[in-house]
Amino acid sequence: MAGFSELIKNFDKTREYVRDFFIYGCKVRSDFDKKSVRTYDDEKRRVESWMQDYMRYDDSAKGRHVSISVDSGHISENPLYNAYYSKSFTDNDIKLHFLLIDILQDGRSRTLRELTDTLNSEYEQLFDDQTVRNKLKEYTDEGIVAAEKQGKTMYYSLAALCADDLIKMYRGLDDALKFFSEAPDLGVIGNSIMKAVGIKNDLFHIKHNYMIHSLEDILVPDILAAIDDKCSITVKKFSWKKDDEFSEEEIIPMQILVSVQTGRRYIAAYVPRRRRFVTFRLDRIKQIKRESVCADYDRLRERYDVNIQRCFGVSFGDRHEVGAVSAIKITFTVDERNESFIIDRLEREKRCAVLEKTGEGLYTLTADVFDPNELMHWAKTFIGRIVSIEGGTEKIRRRFYSDIRRMYRMYGGIEDEHIQ
Amino acid sequence: MNIFSEIYGTYFRIAARLLENEVTDEKTVREIVMRDGFRDSVLFLPQKLIPSGEDCGLFRRGVDNMLRRITKKSPVKVLTKLQKMWLKAKLSDPRIRLFLEDDVIEGLMEELADVKPLYRHEHFRLTDRHADHDDYSDEKYIAIFRTALDAVKKRKIVDISFTSAHGKHVSGRFVMLKIEFSPKNGKFRAYCYRLGNDKIKNSGLINIGRIDTITDTGRVFRTPVSMDDYFSSRKCSTPAVIRVTNERNGVERFMLEFAPYEKHTVRDLETGQYTVELWYDEQDETEVLIMLLSFGPVIEILGPEKLREQAKERLMRQYELLWKNEQG
Repeated sequence: MAGFSELIKNFDKTREYVRDFFIYGCKVRSDFDKKSVRTYDDEKRRVESWMQDYMRYDDSAKGRHVSISVDSGHISENPLYNAYYSKSFTDNDIKLHFLLIDILQDGRSRTLRELTDTLNSEYEQLFDDQTVRNKLKEYTDEGIVAAEKQGKTMYYSLAALCADDLIKMYRGLDDALKFFSEAPDLGVIGNSIMKAVGIKNDLFHIKHNYMIHSLEDILVPDILAAIDDKCSITVKKFSWKKDDEFSEEEIIPMQILVSVQTGRRYIAAYVPRRRRFVTFRLDRIKQIKRESVCADYDRLRERYDVNIQRCFGVSFGDRHEVGAVSAIKITFTVDERNESFIIDRLEREKRCAVLEKTGEGLYTLTADVFDPNELMHWAKTFIGRIVSIEGGTEKIRRRFYSDIRRMYRMYGGIEDEHIQ
Repeated sequence: MNIFSEIYGTYFRIAARLLENEVTDEKTVREIVMRDGFRDSVLFLPQKLIPSGEDCGLFRRGVDNMLRRITKKSPVKVLTKLQKMWLKAKLSDPRIRLFLEDDVIEGLMEELADVKPLYRHEHFRLTDRHADHDDYSDEKYIAIFRTALDAVKKRKIVDISFTSAHGKHVSGRFVMLKIEFSPKNGKFRAYCYRLGNDKIKNSGLINIGRIDTITDTGRVFRTPVSMDDYFSSRKCSTPAVIRVTNERNGVERFMLEFAPYEKHTVRDLETGQYTVELWYDEQDETEVLIMLLSFGPVIEILGPEKLREQAKERLMRQYELLWKNEQG
């Protein structure tokens, strides 16, 4: 049996484990029942190694709870980036990496044969042509090596731009890297530049920091490329229950939707099979496979741009995208003289809804959206100020009234029996 | 082209660092692995670097027992295509002007002229960012941001006048410690100490967008500052204690939404309910309270009493509003 390795081949499995440790914070070994005990122990050990000070252990009757506890608003570097820096490799991979860079850094371009000969004669390293060719092809794709055909022969040279030169040359770039490497949207790539040149972020913190998004970033470049190239993709979702089959769906991606308040990110896409726009949570997607170019992309995108204006959050509702929608109206009471900050809050948080003053100390928000239910989580942040809710659906209104009654009782209120 | 590649990996990075010198020794290898590696790397990586029969062949042992690199020069740090595409995308982010002068941006744009940006702004849609986010392209804002950033970097003492959230005009002498950005608010803020007679009076957070003037006093704050102590002093003395039920997928929703907070979770195996202790910055108490209320009856604030009382007071008011209105 092979021993434990710090390095990993498969990022998907790690994503699942880290997410569970990080989000739930109270998983024990038996909770991971769809996995083997060995896998659990290995994944746990890796996570412990990356997270170090942020791991927390609590013993219970069911076993030892392992969790990650981070005040992510006050950290200098997202520790989950470490997962990306753990890819396994072979001895040849690392040797060829440094040898090819060493040979090519004089700026001269060389053929495959010259490179293989140099490796042999100057470095006493025997590599067959195919191994070196494969590595050069890989590095050409990565942009480390530039390949140029002269006649029938391919010449290879090192890409010109070096991270340290760039940072020295362009004033302020180091500070920009420090910020953008922690800010949302693929910060890990910026962090990889900083790590290469030995810079650490000592200036910035990110509040409301959903660090876990960095794990989903593995999918994002492929989604962005598919959007740019107007291609469909097949999304394969994680299985959430023991016997779940992986479900797959072919979709045409339009945009990535980011909720900066709930910690969820989505692909908004047109789903040909369902003939409608749907959103898919990024954290539930395991893999993405690029499919074909969508001939109808521009027309769908136009429809999407219209439809997204009628989403309060990310839901296109249950109706067909052009179906009837009933507007929801929520009226709030505000002490205008002393509570102008509430009006400011409504203004800044209303999104696509319309806010009107409808009476003395009364403000009504009207949202003509596909899924009025999406407002309700937000509306409850105004508990203590909601005068009425109209429109939407009967179910939404009934649930809101029922929730307030339940919460009233929960916090010690005694209900008047006559009120139903 | 994928960021999950060994070329960005910790092991490659450590090897690159060691290959900067023609000669090294086993002790240095272990020290650098300990310093730059993962917790357990010292158990795995040194034997891959130190000639032993199991190593990957980057070093040869000399007669003096020292380790000599097989390469001739120190490795260069070539930017990959992915890194260049990321940089190019960031050059179109309006916040880049907070850090780089226009001519620097132009220079970088030229440098990356043949690189396609990794993404465009319109690829992403922030569904719930507050509408009153900072205007990063405003020249006055940029100038104030840069002065504040410089003050943070050099621990400069600065005189600041700003308008508080309550509309009050405030001015004073401050030392700025760190800059914070909130994607939810779209705002930059500076963590600082307020000084009086050159001594720390209190700690605070100033919105960069609310600063009217910021002037360098020409002096530097030399007292060592522990940011851990600073943040601890701002944290609530007792955590919020929340019972979370799984109604409406409450556990997952709650855990995800509160993921940025430091928390400790215990699960009751009998009821399947979770009890979460949640630590937050005292100044954010109202924000935390309304976030908790938004979960409705799926969660309950068990303590501390002060927080529960605030929830109760809002619920009583809400109940009265709805049913008084309905009866009326």
